[in-house]
Amino acid sequence: MNRTRIILRKSAWAIFTIFIVIIFNFFLFRVLPGDPARAGIRDPRLKKEAIEALQVKFGLDKPVINCFETLNPIKLGSCTIDPMETQFFIYVGNLVKGELGISYHTNRPVADVLAERLWNTILLIGAGQILSILLGVVLGIVAAWKARTSVDYGAVTASLIAWSLPTFWLGIILLFWGSTVGLPVGGKATPGISTYPLIQQWADIAKHMFLPTLTYTIVYMGEYTLIMRSSLIDVLSEDYILTARAKGLNSAQILRDHALKNAMLPLVTVIAINLGFTVAGVIQIESVFSWPGLGSAIFEAVIRRDFPMLQGAFLLIAVTVILANLLADLTYTFLDPRVNVE
Amino acid sequence: MKQKVLYIVLLAALLLAACGGGGSAEQPVVVRVGKAGSPDTLNPGNAILANSYTIFELVYDSMYELNLDGSFRLSIADSAAVSDDGLTWTFKIKDGIKWHDGEPLTAEDVAWTYNLYKDTPEYPYLNGYYTTYFDTITFTDNNEVILTLNESIPNLESQLVFLYILPKHIWENVDKLEYENTEMVGSGPFKMTEYAQNEFVRLSANTEYFGTQPKVDEVIFQSFDNQDALVQAIKAGQVDMITEMPSTAAASLKEEPNVELVVGAPLSPYVADIIFNQMDPENCPEDGGICSGHPALLDKNVRLAMAHATNKQQLIDVVLLGLGKPGLTLIPDGLGVWYNNSIQDYAFDVDLANQTLDNAGYVDADGDGIRDMPDGSRSLTFRMNWPSDSIEAPRMAELLGEMWSAIGIALEPSAVDPDALTAQCCPAFDFDIMIWGWYSDPDPSSLLYVYTTDAIPYGSSETGYSNPAYDELYVKQQTELNFDARKDIVWEMQKLVHDDVVYIIPYYSAAVQAYRTDRFTGWITDQAKVELSDVTSLLVIEPVK
Repeated sequence: MNRTRIILRKSAWAIFTIFIVIIFNFFLFRVLPGDPARAGIRDPRLKKEAIEALQVKFGLDKPVINCFETLNPIKLGSCTIDPMETQFFIYVGNLVKGELGISYHTNRPVADVLAERLWNTILLIGAGQILSILLGVVLGIVAAWKARTSVDYGAVTASLIAWSLPTFWLGIILLFWGSTVGLPVGGKATPGISTYPLIQQWADIAKHMFLPTLTYTIVYMGEYTLIMRSSLIDVLSEDYILTARAKGLNSAQILRDHALKNAMLPLVTVIAINLGFTVAGVIQIESVFSWPGLGSAIFEAVIRRDFPMLQGAFLLIAVTVILANLLADLTYTFLDPRVNVE
Repeated sequence: MKQKVLYIVLLAALLLAACGGGGSAEQPVVVRVGKAGSPDTLNPGNAILANSYTIFELVYDSMYELNLDGSFRLSIADSAAVSDDGLTWTFKIKDGIKWHDGEPLTAEDVAWTYNLYKDTPEYPYLNGYYTTYFDTITFTDNNEVILTLNESIPNLESQLVFLYILPKHIWENVDKLEYENTEMVGSGPFKMTEYAQNEFVRLSANTEYFGTQPKVDEVIFQSFDNQDALVQAIKAGQVDMITEMPSTAAASLKEEPNVELVVGAPLSPYVADIIFNQMDPENCPEDGGICSGHPALLDKNVRLAMAHATNKQQLIDVVLLGLGKPGLTLIPDGLGVWYNNSIQDYAFDVDLANQTLDNAGYVDADGDGIRDMPDGSRSLTFRMNWPSDSIEAPRMAELLGEMWSAIGIALEPSAVDPDALTAQCCPAFDFDIMIWGWYSDPDPSSLLYVYTTDAIPYGSSETGYSNPAYDELYVKQQTELNFDARKDIVWEMQKLVHDDVVYIIPYYSAAVQAYRTDRFTGWITDQAKVELSDVTSLLVIEPVK
């Protein structure tokens, strides 16, 4: 009963947050300076008529919302017009229909572009997260078990360094190194590989993934190691561990059956939050290695003032973060019975 | 346990990848070009980025092609005839040209395409600027296109060079604004084979091309998100040629065995400019004008002194690492015959600069090291802004600050978001000095327009400069049909704006490109302009034996 109520309440909050994000998303980009119809275009060949035609094409000739013609600079307008003739309600109306609009920059449906890019990013994050979690957890356990030995100090130092490395810097260094040992320095696959057998295509993608995944793994592994280590050290000092030891259980049994389950809790939270944020957080890795993912799409959209792309991408990120948090909350209710007691 | 299995699988995949790579025996000859960036769209009407136009040049044909010496050559037509009044042009289209899908290309396609561009105001470039003078376009049974103009103009070639001919049988059935055109059907020397947006464009040779046929089987343009990766890619042999790089990389590539660096005037030159706000508040544009410029900049003596105090060679050496030439006006040396090379630039002479300011009454009244207005109302402290995405501007601003402090002028430098800068710039004129720049059309008209009074309310004039004599010359060169007479006018206009110190043009940056010597030979590097990704090179290069 208690659990159901918690799940319902958390889900309701998540939906409410997404709703707020949708509204915020729209206005965020419109209070920034800049005219999408001429962003990135600085050319005397672009005539005033062309700019006006583009504004009509993008729907930017319509008032932003009732009473406001534009938000930057703030220009007041009629308050009595049909709301469905304003940019805001057209945007909301399209969202309800599941349409994210057409990108100003590429003239393609935003949903198509996002879908293409999302898979590439998921591939990259997926591999990176799995590797960094595995390595981080193992290293964290070893460090905690051998606490205050040279192994522990070594692991902690290495983790701290890895965690604090600037991602783009590490990426560039690895790119320089990688190019000397024959690893591809950019892209998702060798152009033209699509005519080759499938197994060769996968091998090619794996080769292209090596450097960005390595960068990702190094950066996140450190964080996971540190959290795992400190959380496990906490748990290992609990009385019930002493009891387990007194019962004559061996180290492996104590770790596996008694300590790890509790020590994993903080890590689950961090992983869930990271999963949400890394959708956006891989921008640096993607730009260094020219990985055609969401991050580089967002970067490009910001430069071009591509409102529909930005709105779509931000909505996607927001939804991912919110869902990942919801997932973490819900996982908690199963992992940790104390959460249910309020 | 499950995680362990996954890990092993992944590791195996990586190992496999490292060992793999063997291919079949009969490999096509593929030239790989590394590009920073990618096409925005393959719909020529909607496209804005130069990377798109590179692809259009290879896949489509136009009436004229631009040569690397800046001249034009007739492409799909056998002849071009113009009526005595200069208003009616007749092009006889070559017989037997085929689209990539096998359909014949006829005068009807050409006329239909020109009408499409003319009637679509949403096409930012191909409509507005290049079809301004089009009146009617028709075709005859004799495979002729008849183009009538509403005014006789001297530079029709440069107007037609980017108007890519599209196949009517495909385009008449699609939405001209939303069509993505990813399966481009053109008539050019290369065919679209595979396109992955933001990843690569793969083109293959059109073996039925009516002109010179390519000697390679495929050209692949691979997109990179940063120029450092591009440099590493050519060093490692992952690409055969690159068309841009950071200036800092040029030196290291020069050392590289198997890589040849090519430096020269760019095909579409970028002109960096130092902009003085000369907008008189009394003539402030009604629509959006703020006009907060420093009054001293309205005085030519101040601008002249700053020009004399600017060491352009030092700017080139430090900012471009030597890869550029001193600039004069917005018309760069890359425009060949249109560039007025007879103009004597202002000598770098700090004493003369100081004297000019002394004579004009700008003295340091309060002894703070900065000169003041003759009436003492304010000091010669100028705001200096540049777009935050510029790599060159911060270094340039720092150097200018030092150079101009030698004549008692102080700067308040700041990098500004490009959009915010546009908002400050024009037609608001809410700045003192800016560092920015323009891309030039092959014809001088578009950048000459920037200096006109007409350009002020449209936001194309960034200085607010207004000179009736200049405006008159601008109109005159637009319709002067005699080539030499037009050249003289264009030269005179450059002299005028140089004399008035409308801008300081610090330099014309060179195109810096590189190719691998162990892969292909025959790159065209001896022309006035350098562009290795131009069709001229890609048609003639051959694999190294």
